[in-house]
Amino acid sequence: MSRGGQAALSIAWVGITALLGLYVQRNLVVSGDLRLFMPKPATAVERLLLQEVGESPASRLLLVSLQGASPQVLAASSQAFALALRADPLFKAVANGADSVAAVPDKLLPYRYLLSTTLDSARFDTDFLRAQLEERLQDLSSPMAGVLEPWIARDPTLEFLKLAEQWQPAHQAQRRYDVWFDRRGTSALLMVATQAAAFDPDGQEIAAAALREHFAATRAAPRVTLTVSGPGAFSMMMKHRTQDQIAWLGTVDSLSMVLLLIVAYRSLRIVLLAALPLASAGVAGLAVVSALFGQVHGITLAFGFTLLGVAQDYPIHLLSHRRAGASALATARSVWPTLATGVISTCIAYLAFLCSGVIGLEQLACFTIVGLAVAGLTTRYLMPRLVPAKERDYGESAWLGRLWSRIIALPRPGWLAVAVALGCVTVLISGHAPLWQNDLGQLTPIPKNLTDQDERLREELGAADIRRLLVVDGGSADEVVAATEALSPKLDALVRRGDIASYESVARYLPSAGVQLRRQAALPDARTLEASLAAAVAGLPFKADLFVPFLEDVARARALPPLTGQMLTATPLQLRIDSLLLHRVRHWTGLITLSGVRDIPALEELAAQSGGVLTLLDLKQASEDLVAHQRVRILWSLAIAALLLLVTIGLALRSVRRMLRVVAPMALTTLIILATLHAARAPMNLFHLIALVLAAGLGVDYALFFEAVEEDPAEQRRTLHAVLVCSVSTFMVFGFLALSTLPVLRAIGVTVSLGVLANFAWALLLTRRPAHA
Amino acid sequence: MDTLLASIARPPPATTAFIEVRFSQLLARPLIVRGELEHLRGGALIRNVTEPFKERTEIDGDRVSVEREGKPPRYFSLQSIPGLAGLLGGFAAVLGGSRAAVEQDFNLALQGDTAHWRLELRPKSPRQSRYVHDIAIYGRDAAPRCIVVTPPDRSPEIMLVESAARTELPSPPTLQWLRQFCDSGGA
Repeated sequence: MSRGGQAALSIAWVGITALLGLYVQRNLVVSGDLRLFMPKPATAVERLLLQEVGESPASRLLLVSLQGASPQVLAASSQAFALALRADPLFKAVANGADSVAAVPDKLLPYRYLLSTTLDSARFDTDFLRAQLEERLQDLSSPMAGVLEPWIARDPTLEFLKLAEQWQPAHQAQRRYDVWFDRRGTSALLMVATQAAAFDPDGQEIAAAALREHFAATRAAPRVTLTVSGPGAFSMMMKHRTQDQIAWLGTVDSLSMVLLLIVAYRSLRIVLLAALPLASAGVAGLAVVSALFGQVHGITLAFGFTLLGVAQDYPIHLLSHRRAGASALATARSVWPTLATGVISTCIAYLAFLCSGVIGLEQLACFTIVGLAVAGLTTRYLMPRLVPAKERDYGESAWLGRLWSRIIALPRPGWLAVAVALGCVTVLISGHAPLWQNDLGQLTPIPKNLTDQDERLREELGAADIRRLLVVDGGSADEVVAATEALSPKLDALVRRGDIASYESVARYLPSAGVQLRRQAALPDARTLEASLAAAVAGLPFKADLFVPFLEDVARARALPPLTGQMLTATPLQLRIDSLLLHRVRHWTGLITLSGVRDIPALEELAAQSGGVLTLLDLKQASEDLVAHQRVRILWSLAIAALLLLVTIGLALRSVRRMLRVVAPMALTTLIILATLHAARAPMNLFHLIALVLAAGLGVDYALFFEAVEEDPAEQRRTLHAVLVCSVSTFMVFGFLALSTLPVLRAIGVTVSLGVLANFAWALLLTRRPAHA
Repeated sequence: MDTLLASIARPPPATTAFIEVRFSQLLARPLIVRGELEHLRGGALIRNVTEPFKERTEIDGDRVSVEREGKPPRYFSLQSIPGLAGLLGGFAAVLGGSRAAVEQDFNLALQGDTAHWRLELRPKSPRQSRYVHDIAIYGRDAAPRCIVVTPPDRSPEIMLVESAARTELPSPPTLQWLRQFCDSGGA
C-alpha cells in the first residue's frame, strides 16, 4: 500500500472510530442501578425480594447520628438539620423524634372514633360517659393535666390519646431535649428517607452531598460531627472504592502494557497501531450495546473492557508472525484461520451469558462479542495495510530458537495431565468448604465496623429485623389490610409466647373498611348522645356546653367514608403506612416487620396455616436461592457453550484428535483453577465464572496457535514470541487486579492470572505437535 | 437566702400532707384534692391522693406510674410529660437545700423577712419556660406553707403543705382568697 493510501486509511479508521465514539458519548446512558446485575425473578418470593432490595422505603432509609457536643447543642443541631432536610425535595421524609406521630391534621381528627378500638366493646351511653368524665376530673388534678386539658372538651373519652399510644412503636429511641438520642445520650439520632432508591448510587450520591451541605449549614457548633449509615450510604461508599481501584489499576495496567509492547516490538508506531483494533472494538461494542439496551451498567463497562483484553492478543499474533520480506497482509492471511477459530470460539463462550437472564450479563456478552469480532476483523483486514515493512524477523531470534529446542526436548507428560486432573477432582470432591458463594453481600463486603455501627443505630432507633418479614398479598389495599388485621390475634399470641419480641403491620395504623364501618354504626345519633351526655355530666363541675366540640366530632364521624392510606398523605403516619402497604402493578402487598425473632418454625407454621395469604420471607435465604438459581442457568448455558466450542474447533481443525489436543489445556486449567480456589477456601461467585470463561478463551487461543505451528523452525519461534507476549501481557494486567482489596476485582484477577499460567504451560506441554525426528 | 434554703430543706425520707387546689378553664369550680406527699430515700417521689378519690403516683427516675382504685396501674416516661421533669427538678433542689443546685436551672428571688417570706423560682431555659412561668413558695420561719405553680397559659395550681394542709377552705375557694392566704403566710 502506498504511503498516501496508508495515510488515508489511518485517517478513515481513526475518523470512523472517533465518530462512533461520539455517537456513544451522545447516546450511552451509564446506569449505576445494581439491579441490572441481578437475575430476573422467577418466583413470587424472588420478585418481592428484588422489589424489597431496591425500592422499599426501608432501603431508602439513612440512619444519621450527630455527636461531638453537649446534648443541648446536639438537640439544637438536630432540629435545625431536620428543618433544612424537610424543605429539600431530595428527601421523602425526615424524623428526629420531635415530630409526634399524633400530629394529625385537624380534619382527620373525627376519624378517631373509627380507628380506636373503644367502640368494639363499649357504647357511648350515660354510664360509660359518666365514668369517663369522672376520670377526666382526676386527670385534671394529676401531673398529666397540662397535656390533657386542651383535649378534654373535644375528646372526653381520650380516643386520640389511645390511638397515639397504639401508634407508638414498640421500641424507639429515648427522647432528650425533644429529639431522639442514643442510650448513652451522646448522639442525637435522625432517620432520613431519600427520594432515590438505595441501589441508585448516583441518586444516593446527590442526596448524600445535599445531606452534608445541610448539615454544615445548620450545625449548632463546628465540633458537631455527622455519621450516616444505611444501604444507600454503603452502596455509594462501595462505588467510590471500586472506582478508585479501577482507575488506579487501569493506569498501572495501561502503562505497563505500553512498556511491554515497546520492549517486544521496539517501535512506538507499532504500539499505537496495535491499540487501534482494541479501541475500535471497545467503541463498536459500546455503540451496539447503547443501540440495543439504551443504558449500560457501570460494571458492564468495567468488566467488558477487562474481558475485551483478549482482543489485545490479536494484533500481537499478527505482529509476532511477520516474516522479513513478506507483506503484513500475507502474514494476516496465514494466521487468519487460527485467529478466526480463536475469535469465534471465544465469542461462542460468551453467547452463554446472552441467555443468563441477567440484563447486566447480557450487555456484557453483547459488548464482548461485538468487540471481539471487530478486533478480529480489523486485525485481519485493516491493520496489515498500515504495518510498516519488517526488518527484524522473530523467526531468526536466536534465544527464541534455544528456548523452543528446550521446549521440544520436554516430555509430553500425558500421564501428568491425567494425574493432575484426578488430583483436582479429588480436591473438589473431598473439600468441606462451600464450593459456591451465595451471599450477595460478600461480593461487595462492607467493613465490619460499619455494619456494627449500622446494627447499633438500627437497634437504638427501633428499626426492624431486616432479614425476615411476613408478606400479605391482595387485590386491593383494603383486602390486604383486612387480611393483616385478621392475623393480628395470632401475631399477638406469638408475642405473648415470646416467639417474637414485637411486630409492626399496617393494621396497627389503619383498620379495614369493614371494621371502621362497624364502629361507625355503633356511634349514637346526635339526639341520643346529647341526652346521654347531659345525664352523665349532671353534678360534675364541668362548665356548661363545654362538650359541644365532642358532639360535633361524633356527628362528623357518623358521616365519614372509611379512612384509606391515601388520605394520610402528608401526615406523620404516611411514612409508616407507605413502608407497610405497597402498591404494585395490579396488586397490593402488606409487610409485617418483625423484631426479636426467636422461633422461626412458629412463623413458618403461621404462614403454612394461612392458606397462601401469608408468606414468610427470609431475605437472606431468598437472595441466596436467587443466586443459586441464577447460577444453575449460567452453568447450563456454559455447558452448552462448551459443547458448541468443541464442535466449532472440531470443524475448524477437521479432526477430533487435534480438537482434543487444543481443548485439553483449557479443560485442565479450568479444573486447576477450581481446585485451587476450593483448596484456598474461596467460594466461587458469578465473577469467578466470568473470569473462568475469559481464561478458557485465552487457553483456546494459545493452544490453537501452538497446535497450528508447522515444522518450520522460524514459524515455531514466531508463534512462541506471539504467545509469550500475549501471556506475559495478560498475566501482568490480571496480576495487578489480583492485588486489589475488592473481592470482585480480586476474583477476576486471581482466576485469570492463574489461568494464563496454567494454560500457557499445558499448551506447551500437551498441544505442541510431536517433534518429528 | 442560704439560711432560708437550708432551713426549709427536707432531706429524704420526708412526708407531708397536702391540699391541692387547681383552677381550670374547663371547670365551673376548682378541683380540690387532699393526700400525702412522700420523698423517699433514693429520690423517688410519691403523691398519694386520698380525697375525693384514691390515686397513687410514683415518680422514680424516668418512670412514672399512676395507680387508680379499681384500675390496673399505668406507666409512662417522665420525658413524655412536657415540663414535669423540670418542675420536679426544682422541687428536688429546694428539698435538698442547696442554693447552687437550685440556681443551676432557676433564677431565684426572695421577698419578705424570715418570719414571712416568698421564694420565687423562674426557669432559666426557654424550653422550661414554655411549661412553667414561675414557682412561688410561701412560708413562715422554717416552714413552707404554699406552693403556687403558674404555667404561662393556664390558671395556677396551688398546693398547701405541712401545717397549712390542715386549713379549712371556703367552698368554693377562690383564687383571690388563696392568694391572700398564701401572702399572709397562711394565717
